[in-house]
Amino acid sequence: MQYPDVQTQMAKYYTYDPKLGVANAGYKGRHILWLDKCTGCQLCSIACENISQAIEMVKVPSVIKPQNKKTLYPQVDYAKCVFCGLCVDACPFYALGMTEDFNLVSTSKKALVYSPEKLAIPPNVTRKKVEFKIENGEAFHD
Amino acid sequence: MAALTNFEQFVKRILEIVFWVVILVPMIIIPIFFFVYVLPIEFSCHFSMLNCSQHINWSSALYLFSPAELNPFDPTSFISQMGLGATSILFKSSFFPGITFAAILSSFVIWYERKLLAKMQYRIGPQYAGRVEGWLQSFADLFKLMFKEIVIPAKADALFFLAVPFAMMALAGALLAVIPISANIYITSSPYSLLIALAILSFFPLTVVMAGWASANKFSFIGGIRALYQMISYEIPFILSVVGIIILSGGTLSLSQIVIAQGRIWFVIPMILGAVVFYITSMAELERIPFDLPEADSEIVAGWLTEYTSMNFGVINLATYIKLYGLSALFTILFLGGWQGPAPIPGALWFMIKTIIMITLFLIPRGAFGRIRIDQLIGFGWLWLVALSFSNIFIAVVLKATGIL
Amino acid sequence: MSVGSAFVTEKISDDKLTLSIGPQHPGAGHFRFTVTIEGDTIVDCVPDPGYVHRGAEKQTEYRTFLQSIPLLERSSLTDVTNIIMPFSMAAEELMGIQIPPRAQYLRMIMSENQRILSHLYWLGIQGIFLGHSTVFMWPLGDRELFIDLGQMIGGARITYSYAIPGGVRNDMPDNFKDRALKVFDYFESRLKDYEKIFFNNPLVLKRTQGVGVLPRAEAIRLGVVGQTLRASGVKSDTRIDEPYNFYKDINFEVPTYNSCDTWARCMVHLAEMRQSMNIMRQCLGKMPQGPVRVRLSPQQRAQAGEAYTRVEAARGALAFHIISDGTTRPYRVKISVPSFRNLIALSRLLIGSHVADMPAIYWSLDYWPVEADR
Repeated sequence: MQYPDVQTQMAKYYTYDPKLGVANAGYKGRHILWLDKCTGCQLCSIACENISQAIEMVKVPSVIKPQNKKTLYPQVDYAKCVFCGLCVDACPFYALGMTEDFNLVSTSKKALVYSPEKLAIPPNVTRKKVEFKIENGEAFHD
Repeated sequence: MAALTNFEQFVKRILEIVFWVVILVPMIIIPIFFFVYVLPIEFSCHFSMLNCSQHINWSSALYLFSPAELNPFDPTSFISQMGLGATSILFKSSFFPGITFAAILSSFVIWYERKLLAKMQYRIGPQYAGRVEGWLQSFADLFKLMFKEIVIPAKADALFFLAVPFAMMALAGALLAVIPISANIYITSSPYSLLIALAILSFFPLTVVMAGWASANKFSFIGGIRALYQMISYEIPFILSVVGIIILSGGTLSLSQIVIAQGRIWFVIPMILGAVVFYITSMAELERIPFDLPEADSEIVAGWLTEYTSMNFGVINLATYIKLYGLSALFTILFLGGWQGPAPIPGALWFMIKTIIMITLFLIPRGAFGRIRIDQLIGFGWLWLVALSFSNIFIAVVLKATGIL
Repeated sequence: MSVGSAFVTEKISDDKLTLSIGPQHPGAGHFRFTVTIEGDTIVDCVPDPGYVHRGAEKQTEYRTFLQSIPLLERSSLTDVTNIIMPFSMAAEELMGIQIPPRAQYLRMIMSENQRILSHLYWLGIQGIFLGHSTVFMWPLGDRELFIDLGQMIGGARITYSYAIPGGVRNDMPDNFKDRALKVFDYFESRLKDYEKIFFNNPLVLKRTQGVGVLPRAEAIRLGVVGQTLRASGVKSDTRIDEPYNFYKDINFEVPTYNSCDTWARCMVHLAEMRQSMNIMRQCLGKMPQGPVRVRLSPQQRAQAGEAYTRVEAARGALAFHIISDGTTRPYRVKISVPSFRNLIALSRLLIGSHVADMPAIYWSLDYWPVEADR
């Protein structure tokens, strides 16, 4: 498999269900923030505080939602994030998930700090995805 | 790095420039000179109905390579008289079948080796340099190496350190001088060409020790000593395995005569033991896996080659692959019948086909074996290989005395 | 005796040479050891660990139990689940909770997956240290299939922070079982190829048999763990001696060899890979349905006291000793790592052997510098 042209098929979003207390299996890549659900409670930021301090709450005046009067939303600094997913496990409002987009290269450290609006955009993975197949005693990909 | 005195820097710069000039001039300028200046003149003599000199022999398609005749009053042989024409020694030694041809073939052998190993290892190998399967990868590496800095360690003996690539390239080129590619194509011919080839091959351990000692590095020193042990202890079976050939071909030491003597049967069949011993000892001379202990990556960090950087390293590497080509050519001549083969394909092409098959056989063990330890290697060389080559000589004597061959 | 750069520049005598097989050496990893050689024999060896010491034990004192998991798992990259599992088990003991059986089975599956990954990486580097580049490429390529399996459950390729105090973070997806069984069948046929090219290769046998012999009594006296101990004829495996999770319900063998040399250590690694697949197959068959995680608060307090747990990591027995004073953060965490325990065998084995045997012996002890320095 030639990586820069293709990538493997990954599992879907990694999300956490606070009612059941378990997460759903998925790939832990870039975060995705559902602005309709986030209340600005800062639990994700507190969870990340002693791990890598990658989440910071910022005020976003342009996004006005009924459940978030103070317009506080998390921003993620991907230069520090270790992609452990404990922030997703801490959110009680189904607002944070992790997608399968891991290609976050950029040429400046400022561009690695993703603002809440940027996190809300669903990922757009344009590479062709292949899946490993094992048949007749041989492993290959299509 | 300690500061060099001005004189040493000056010498270093001069040597760098001399490197590039000495390597590039034969490879690029002489072929250009030949194609642009010499060929039109040689062609034009036929179209203008001048009295062409007798050296153009239309009955053979290889008119470029027939022996030169001197005619001082004929303008078209002026170029040949000056020693620059197609049949001159300068052309043959620098272009075909000499250094340029061998260097380009070695670059393709490096690419070929990487591809072959990659296929054995479930990989692809070079794929980006050059549209088709990365065939220009060696040339890309050559250009990359040219732009790096030649680093001389502070305590190193600069003269010997820098002389090693020269010495290795000179020896590799000298090896090619005595190898005939076909009945008419050779750089020089001599009635003792086999002996000359073996003598040249015996000089290589000296250059390796020079490299190991001059680098002023403990790992290089260990690598150089190991290379010395390995090459010297494998010289003996190397030479002994060839003695059987000499006996069977009537006592001649000339490589051309040896090929002619294989008219009835190729020597690989009666001398199979000698062929095997020659193959194994050539791999030890070339420091290929499984005998690459002097350059062992994991113990002594590239051994005697540790301190060699850009073109130092590039030229030594090229010399090693030219030596690979030279030894495969020698195997082809001694055991596989040289340029002999069925008619429609010319002899030179048969020679190339057989040499490339032998090069493949030298490259394949790299994917299948690990390294062998130095004491096991020396024990193997002195005990088993010498015994096998003696039995080989015995077989040759018996075959000759009873008149079978 | 001084170590490091001072050591290699002092002149001992005219016929002895000191070499620093240091961090910048293709044959050593991030670890330095200095050897003194005389001719072709090593006469002295002084290991110098500590190049990658990052203070992991001290840092756990500033984090809660859950927050220490991403920190600790990065100490041992090839063996991620096994290094956090005793931590989670000790933390659960201190918190006084019992995790559900399905979580224990999932932990076992991930643990055996990591064992195969670690052994394949070991095999690759052992090949390259012996000069065999094909045995470097093949295992690292086959490892991709197992990394893919890990990624289906854990969500990342290498460090997934999966076995946390309270259970595991998520359940396995539905297509995992079929995929895993296919991968095992394929890999068992590949192991036959590995046997042909490496384990039965005459040149490799010549270089590893009779080399680096650690006799049985010496192995017990020095206190080595893992494959080094099992290759010296001692049948010792924490999964059988002190069973945890559900190992007492699984039938598997512990391979031991009596020849005590490097070849025996290689064969133990090979046999353990087969046993891991055996264990995973049985776990996949026996897993009960049920919850996988006990809900804990992120700032869960642990009761005051001490807890000591030991598991069988890929390299040997790994133990955690946690002392807690009743708050959300541990008071002291002590990690006992198999690589560091085997380091003492390195200096014993290298003295008296050839210089060329050094990489073969060094890597067969499966020393991972990052784990040993924590």
